[in-house]
Amino acid sequence: MFLLAGINWSKLVTMENINSAIRIVVLLGLGFPLLLFICTLAGKAAKKRFTPQVSMLIRKGIFYFGSILLIISVLYQMGFKLTALLGAAGIAGIAIGFASQTSVSNIISGLFLISEKPFAVGDLIKVDDTKGTILSIDLLSVKLRTLDNQLVRIPNESLIKNQVTNITRFPIRRLDIDIGVAYKEDVGKVRSVLLDIAKNNPYCLDEPEPLVLFLKFGDSALEFLFAVWFVKADFFKLRNSIMQEIKERFDAEGIEIPFPHRTLYTGSVTEPFPVEIVPSKAKKPKRPG
Amino acid sequence: MGALDIWNRSKIGAGEILRSQIGPLVLWFKKTEDELHVAFERLPEPDTIVDAEGPTAVDGVESEGLDWGRWIVGDEMNTFQVLPIMPDRPVVVHPELPVKIPTGHKALFFVSIPVWLRVLAGEKKQIELCEVPVLILSNTWFGDTISGQLCYSLRSRARRQIKDSESNPYRAVCPVKIRNTSPKQLDIGRLCVHVEHLKTYIGDKNLWTNEVTITFRGEDQAGKIDYSKERPAFEPIGEMLSDARAPVKETILKRSIGGFKLFSGK
Repeated sequence: MFLLAGINWSKLVTMENINSAIRIVVLLGLGFPLLLFICTLAGKAAKKRFTPQVSMLIRKGIFYFGSILLIISVLYQMGFKLTALLGAAGIAGIAIGFASQTSVSNIISGLFLISEKPFAVGDLIKVDDTKGTILSIDLLSVKLRTLDNQLVRIPNESLIKNQVTNITRFPIRRLDIDIGVAYKEDVGKVRSVLLDIAKNNPYCLDEPEPLVLFLKFGDSALEFLFAVWFVKADFFKLRNSIMQEIKERFDAEGIEIPFPHRTLYTGSVTEPFPVEIVPSKAKKPKRPG
Repeated sequence: MGALDIWNRSKIGAGEILRSQIGPLVLWFKKTEDELHVAFERLPEPDTIVDAEGPTAVDGVESEGLDWGRWIVGDEMNTFQVLPIMPDRPVVVHPELPVKIPTGHKALFFVSIPVWLRVLAGEKKQIELCEVPVLILSNTWFGDTISGQLCYSLRSRARRQIKDSESNPYRAVCPVKIRNTSPKQLDIGRLCVHVEHLKTYIGDKNLWTNEVTITFRGEDQAGKIDYSKERPAFEPIGEMLSDARAPVKETILKRSIGGFKLFSGK
């Protein structure tokens, strides 16, 4: 009350100040809705021509640039001198720059990511142990939605420094399945059964052709690589169906999938390990005391 | 009733259940009040496949476990129609025996392509209800692994004479003319037919598509693919049953040419 009472209202309420106040209200009242409208229009136009992240960048760039112009205009109407303001902003900029090295690094990394385009919004990527679909590529970070529907924010700097795998960049992918069969099995039969499974699975592509590679003589099994190509959208359907089909078909064909086992020999590989059956000794009753 | 009469309009009354069969695919129709219910059943045994059977009433008997789809079509709607349409993706045809065309020669092949079915409701102004393939073709990739195209795969005898091929109500015969104007022999290991640009016509014995003419000028030269606007002239042709899914554009021509480098499957 004392503060209000101390104000000289007759000096403050002048025609000039009223005019300035009206201009500020008009600037803010018309400027921001107009800016939002321009952003929406530009976003829509950019969406048709550019990738989602470029259109988002254009929209945000217009918004930030317009907002700064509006704020400067409002400050000018309020009587602030722009030269002094810009000088102060320069000094503040240096101070803020020192304090926000990480943020600046992230912004520069973000610009590199946008220009290099290793991934786009909607791609499924893997960074370290995190796997998720890209929701947005911003100036400071990339936001992922993981497969179990969690939001992960990864700073752009770490994306530049670390290895990033773009899982869905190309339209088709290869599913590699390691399979071991018992030593007694016919390698040719295993190969033909696997190729037949691939041929009959609706999610396997005919071309590029499925691959069955005899990898090595393993400790407990003959080891094969079974590789089939699929359209990236069919990953779960293919993986579920083909694993089940391999098990069912191997069971039907009598092909054994062995578990790790070890054979013990007693000096000669042809003679069985001697087993002696001994009668169990009758337990003597304990004497009391 | 001829095998090709299955494409005619059919009537269905309230509470009626109709069964129709086209190859291994059985179609069920049921009318209840203002709804039309449609279901598909795929028969597993090859020996149960009949060529075609028009809609017949089954007196309330229906196959168990059908996955019905419901469409609100109105009380007055008592007509439906099943039409053949080309598959929704290009078809890569693998001739059973690789074909070679010497330089300066041309050859005409008849490729038999399994159609999809489009179910429509209504008499004059028809409503499209759904589409289903009669045969499920396996998927294949045409082009390199970075920028190719998803297609259906089809093994074909690629017959040279139409009289050699058996007429089948759920396969449309596509005449493909290939000219080799390149200085080298053309080896055809596989051939990508953009069936989405093909119309379907009803003939005396077969379903037909418009003719495709491919001119091969060499691996490094741009080829040319023409989709005829005329009806095929290999037997008396009736009305057009379905239009092409996508009109032919210049951009599509470019894409076809891009695939041309893989024409011989190299």
